[in-house]
Amino acid sequence: MPQHAVLVLVLPLISAAVIALFLRRAGAVAATVSVLAATAIATIAVILALHGERFERSFEWLRLGGFSVSLGIKFDDLAALMLCVVGVVGLCIHVFSLGYMRDDAARARYFGGLSIFMFSMIGIVLADNLFMMFIFWELVGFSSYVLIGHWHEKQSASDAAKKAFIANRVGDFGFLLGIVMCYWSNGTVNLTALGSQHVYSTLIPLLLFCGAVGKSAQLPLQVWLPDAMEGPTPVSALIHAATMVAAGVYMLCRIHVLMVPEALNVIMWTGTVTALYAALCAITQNDIKKVLAYSTLSQLGYMVAAFGLGSLPQLDERGRMVAMAAGVGAAMFHLTTHACFKALLFLGSGSVIHGCHHEQDIFKMGGLAKRMPLTFVTFTIGVAAIIGLPFLAGFFSKDAILFLAFANNKAVFAVLAFTAVLTALYMIRLWKLTFLGTARSDHAAHAHEGGLTLTSPLVVLAAFSILAGYTGIYPKVFSGVFELIPEAHGSAHTIIFATSLAVLVIGVATGYLLYASGPADSLAQKSPGLFGGLVALKNSFDVAYNYYVAKIQQRFAMLLNFLEQIFLAGLIIRGLAGVVGLFGLGARALHTGNLNAYVYWFLFGVVVLWGFATGALAF
Amino acid sequence: MNLEAVKLAAANNSWGALFPELMLACIALALLVFEVVLPRKQHRYIPDLAIIGVAFTLLGLFLNFDSASLDSETFNGLLHHDHAGQVMRVFFLLSALLVCVLARVSLAKRAVPRVEFSHLVLVITAAMMLLAQSSHFVMLFVTLETVTIGFYILVSYFRTSAASLEAGLKYLVMGALSSGLLLFGIVLLYGAAGNPALPMHSANAMHYRDLAAFLAANPHNFVASVGIVLVLAGVAFKIGAFPFQIWIPDVYQGAPTPVTAFLAVASKAAGFAVLLVLARDVFASYAWLVIPVLTLMAGATILFGNIAALTQHNVKRLIGLSGVSHAGFLLLGVVAAASGAAMATGAVYFYLFAYLIASFAVFGVMTHLAGADDSDQELEHYAGLAKDNPFLAAVLAVGLGSLAGIPPLAGFMGKLFVFIAAFQAGARWLLALAAAGVAISIYYYFGWLKAAFFESLAPSPDGPARPERTPVGFAAGLALSVLALGSILLGFYQGPLGQWLTLK
Repeated sequence: MPQHAVLVLVLPLISAAVIALFLRRAGAVAATVSVLAATAIATIAVILALHGERFERSFEWLRLGGFSVSLGIKFDDLAALMLCVVGVVGLCIHVFSLGYMRDDAARARYFGGLSIFMFSMIGIVLADNLFMMFIFWELVGFSSYVLIGHWHEKQSASDAAKKAFIANRVGDFGFLLGIVMCYWSNGTVNLTALGSQHVYSTLIPLLLFCGAVGKSAQLPLQVWLPDAMEGPTPVSALIHAATMVAAGVYMLCRIHVLMVPEALNVIMWTGTVTALYAALCAITQNDIKKVLAYSTLSQLGYMVAAFGLGSLPQLDERGRMVAMAAGVGAAMFHLTTHACFKALLFLGSGSVIHGCHHEQDIFKMGGLAKRMPLTFVTFTIGVAAIIGLPFLAGFFSKDAILFLAFANNKAVFAVLAFTAVLTALYMIRLWKLTFLGTARSDHAAHAHEGGLTLTSPLVVLAAFSILAGYTGIYPKVFSGVFELIPEAHGSAHTIIFATSLAVLVIGVATGYLLYASGPADSLAQKSPGLFGGLVALKNSFDVAYNYYVAKIQQRFAMLLNFLEQIFLAGLIIRGLAGVVGLFGLGARALHTGNLNAYVYWFLFGVVVLWGFATGALAF
Repeated sequence: MNLEAVKLAAANNSWGALFPELMLACIALALLVFEVVLPRKQHRYIPDLAIIGVAFTLLGLFLNFDSASLDSETFNGLLHHDHAGQVMRVFFLLSALLVCVLARVSLAKRAVPRVEFSHLVLVITAAMMLLAQSSHFVMLFVTLETVTIGFYILVSYFRTSAASLEAGLKYLVMGALSSGLLLFGIVLLYGAAGNPALPMHSANAMHYRDLAAFLAANPHNFVASVGIVLVLAGVAFKIGAFPFQIWIPDVYQGAPTPVTAFLAVASKAAGFAVLLVLARDVFASYAWLVIPVLTLMAGATILFGNIAALTQHNVKRLIGLSGVSHAGFLLLGVVAAASGAAMATGAVYFYLFAYLIASFAVFGVMTHLAGADDSDQELEHYAGLAKDNPFLAAVLAVGLGSLAGIPPLAGFMGKLFVFIAAFQAGARWLLALAAAGVAISIYYYFGWLKAAFFESLAPSPDGPARPERTPVGFAAGLALSVLALGSILLGFYQGPLGQWLTLK
């Protein structure tokens, strides 16, 4: 089985290499190679998970004195679950891309990018130590950069790619510091070794959490994710909804043994605030993908909050406060269901965008239910799942989180419940404006359903969005994760159930009644003050960052550039190069080509050495 | 000599321990026989037979790698077989193999005898293999002279080229001079150690072990110390260390490119194999003298090699001078080894292998770009290489990158290991100098790459045309691919090679 795990890791790399080396001009072949690789990955991932064997293998890669870096695979239930999510959702999205990117000129680059992403993501999933995880962490950042900027001739796309990369770098810096500190204080970064023995520290988990803040787009580094929607829609579905952004949550679950209450508190509140903030922002968006992007942010906030929450009140057998795994269970459960329905929603939006000839403004859509029935039905299932309609996937996982919050922190519970109202509100708004009413533009009026490659992934993901919430249907092999999911009993169960129902009804009713199928935002018309406030809230981070970059960082950089030009480039580099060059000319002049002169060199050498031997020269 | 002495000697001889060298010698002789026996039409296959023969010798060496004669002395103490000797045997066989492959490309362009070339390469290789395993000054001198005389012929092998003849003459004079110094040093040591008035004097003072014992008992003998520095001077000529490096650019430029590669890699490595044994073991009790001399040499060699390489336009002179700086880095490793740093010996061997792989990649590209005049290989000739022949350009990039020590290539790891060893040995100032040397070296290596990859050096249309490039054949293409891949792989993963090198 370990060789299968290696195979699943190497396959996408081979695919990417083959595409990059040989198939750059053969888009159709490249697409086939990439999809075949994705199919193989999904198959092997499921076989690996179901086979039930769990193992750890590693080998030493580099040794420098006492410092060693090893590469290895840690395949436990957590990794198995994540590998299945990545593999299966990845396959759906590869297939969808076949249709969506059919007419793209740079198809080979796109599919090569998808393959390199799969490689990096699977590397994160399987890594058995933090160094290796960091390597793949950066590779994921790189592939995300490539794919966001796929249409790089568009200024906004290349800007968004840069922004995503830089924001991620900020987080990764903290992550790297955390890894270095972890190594420094524990002497190892192997996840299993850390689990059995580690130093109590608040700083290390918080620094490692920085990585998750960047990758999972938590406050205050959330700014890149909405902009990342400039990438092709399948990319948004795969990377910026289902898998990569969830890598932050996954990483937290991997290192949960390192957590301490103080750090968990910070993590919990970061997630909670992100969930609320993003939900508020989502209400004002016109772009179908941006609504979904903010919704993703909000759901990621849920997961992070769940992780922070579930771990609070536990003492381990040595009497120390440690992360209780309930947070891991709830976060991973929501991650799994979210991957299904959010990928479905994004692909649905991709189908809509494809049908409407790349129109993304929901106020220019409307009435698509009749023209794109299959997309409508599957999208509706996705919406129902995300707003937590009972007996769909989102309902179960969200309830698990709400129960944790209820049990551990009432304030967080209130905020998350309110966020759920907002979720229902903006999703119903999106759904109603897009699919109901009458068409508000030519494109929408002539929308059409896409081909089989576009619709079949929707159906598959819709099925997952219904079923993924029933923990009973998961094979026993994932029990290491699913046993950890908190379940409410008795009165708590009633309260949670009542709350989520009330939340759902309030949100859906408000959304349905508030928004009329018209060309303008109903909230903006009825309450311009509130709407403006929300827009300002959404913009506040960008404004602040732009101010910082333009006014402070840019000026500082200009100053440094000036100093660099004068001192470094001018005096030191040019000056040194000049001096060295002069010596070089001198040395060149020494090579006269005259044999007599060369013999004198030997004589000189012998005299100097003689001097050493006699002690006349000392060194 | 009476019969008894011959019998005694025969009892001590174990020819089996020398089978790779003997095999090479037999192949070398067989090549000449083939030339006589075979019809003229079939002569062009004879150099290929040499390649196959070397490959089989290498295979045989691998099969008998841990032979019974390891860690024993043979031929009355003339030779000492150990793991390091086996490593160097592999090194020289690899070099010979690659030189023969390059020679196929290079000699095909000219009307020169090709069988004798292979013959000489094999003889020199066998001599170098013995040189690296010698444990007696007589053996050292005889094998060294065999190597050097072979090189006198090879350097001036393009007899119709004035540059090649001039290089041969210069190498002859300088080589003879350095052999004289070496011999004088050996004689002084022999004289000092044979002096019955001194403790631990020996009748067999040419033998390393006896000499080391004598030196340990007389740590400040003047005659011995003069002998030591003269021996070091003789070896310094081989490795091209300052101030005995002055011959290098002229000879490297004039010699045929495969010979330049052979000189730059194998001859230098032979010098280092000898120097390591001498500095670390034989002269150990004269560390007060050897370490300062080698330190000073290393520093001056690094500086001189890099600075002089800066202004070169001829790539053969450039690679020659850059090779001088590599000798400096290797000397750094030898200083560390002489100072007792544990990993220094392994680091030097690793550096040598990384240098072999990268150098032959670069020389292979040079061979394909050389025109009718082998000494005329200018940077300008590389203009547009990336566009016309991306394969050669890629190999060149990897080779030069590895020579420059760009991570993650093998050359970087080699430098890193040597620097770590030097750090352990406490040679901090030398280390700082070496780091500066690396920084300077990147400048000229990248100047070369710039010429190959960017159009800034486009030749002027009315200037002399650049020589015609040779298309890459199968064998050379395979060798170059393996070398380039080897540089990359060894940069990422050194485990097996590293273990094999440091195995005792």
